[in-house]
Amino acid sequence: MEQLLITMILVTLGYFFGRRAEKKHIKSIIEREQVLNKLPAMASRFPPQDGEYQQQLVSGSVVIANDYFKTFVAGLRNLFGGKISTYETLLDRARREAVLRMKQEAQQHQAELIFNVKYETSNISGQYNKKMPVIEVHAYGTALIKS
Amino acid sequence: MYKNPKIPEGINSSKEHPLKEFIILLSGAVLLVIIASLILGFSGSWLAGKIPFSAETKIASLYDVSQFTDSEDHPKITQYLQNLADKISKAQNLPEEMKITAHYMDSDTINAFATLGGNLFIYRGLLEKVANENTLVTLLGHEIGHVKYRHPIKSLGRGVAVSIAMSTITGSTDSQVLGEAGLLTVLKFSREMEQQADEEAISTLNTLYGHINGGAALFKIFQKMREDMETGETPELFSTHPLDQSRIDHFSEMAKKNHWRETGELTPLPDFFQKEL
Repeated sequence: MEQLLITMILVTLGYFFGRRAEKKHIKSIIEREQVLNKLPAMASRFPPQDGEYQQQLVSGSVVIANDYFKTFVAGLRNLFGGKISTYETLLDRARREAVLRMKQEAQQHQAELIFNVKYETSNISGQYNKKMPVIEVHAYGTALIKS
Repeated sequence: MYKNPKIPEGINSSKEHPLKEFIILLSGAVLLVIIASLILGFSGSWLAGKIPFSAETKIASLYDVSQFTDSEDHPKITQYLQNLADKISKAQNLPEEMKITAHYMDSDTINAFATLGGNLFIYRGLLEKVANENTLVTLLGHEIGHVKYRHPIKSLGRGVAVSIAMSTITGSTDSQVLGEAGLLTVLKFSREMEQQADEEAISTLNTLYGHINGGAALFKIFQKMREDMETGETPELFSTHPLDQSRIDHFSEMAKKNHWRETGELTPLPDFFQKEL
């Protein structure tokens, strides 16, 4: 009974705080994406051949932890299967944030373009599966700087 | 030449409200748990019914029966209860190995129960309210009926099956599966079990005395007890306590169906009874 009450409190807190943080984050991502849209990031491996460019590795990474509500819903999902939509928003935010950070770095080098952009993710919560998932998303690419 | 378009929202993440998913999943999980415990409880109870009585006696000895120690100061009462129990066992055609042991408890509690290994516990509080032997036989007949139909072990089997399943799902390491489910007093009988025991009790009453007078008085004791506990409420409201009243009605119904006499001379309790309590 006590256990149940604690879980209920954690889930409720996780829901309200997690949702508030998520809304705030998505709003900020959309705003910054509009600003940094002038610096395109491409997945292509072939850089433009017209002119001299200096090349530079740029990267951005973000570490995200889950809230209790999302973990709880995901745990229930384990019973029935299907897409874990609570994690989808979380990872979507993480990827976009990582790209934004990478672009920010490229901007500091006065880059014009970022090529060969790739993502890496790694689970840093360890092997113990009862722990909340903590995931790193890392975006990196080659920034082209006009010399 | 190179351009990043504005990323449209809602492709990589669903727009569905997370609470909706939460509620659907949670109710599904709760439903699953309820169904699983019903099925497990049923099969656990069915399997436990297959345990031979001799094994049940061994299980009973695992539990601390000594915490319900009999009052040694009332050997006459215990002997009287035991004699009645033996008489009823014979009337109910209990198998040879099903030995009933009556325990007299010197406590105000208005209660009596049957548990593993054919142990009956009868409290002074209840015996004080019993007016004649017919009512006492109904009480003992009911409890012995539980033993006859293996209700204590079935109830234990159900509890064990459900608690094993629950500890597997929740992953709790609480290994007191037998310990908690098996607490002697925690054994809960279902409504069907109670009815079965009631039917056995009234049929015993008729076999021993040739009529069923005094049987319904047992439920009137419980009815009265509930009324006394609910002080401040109108007694009329509780005079039709559904459970007790329906049990009394069921008695009359059974008597009519089997053409048993509903009236007859009541056998008094022995003289020493009230004195020795």
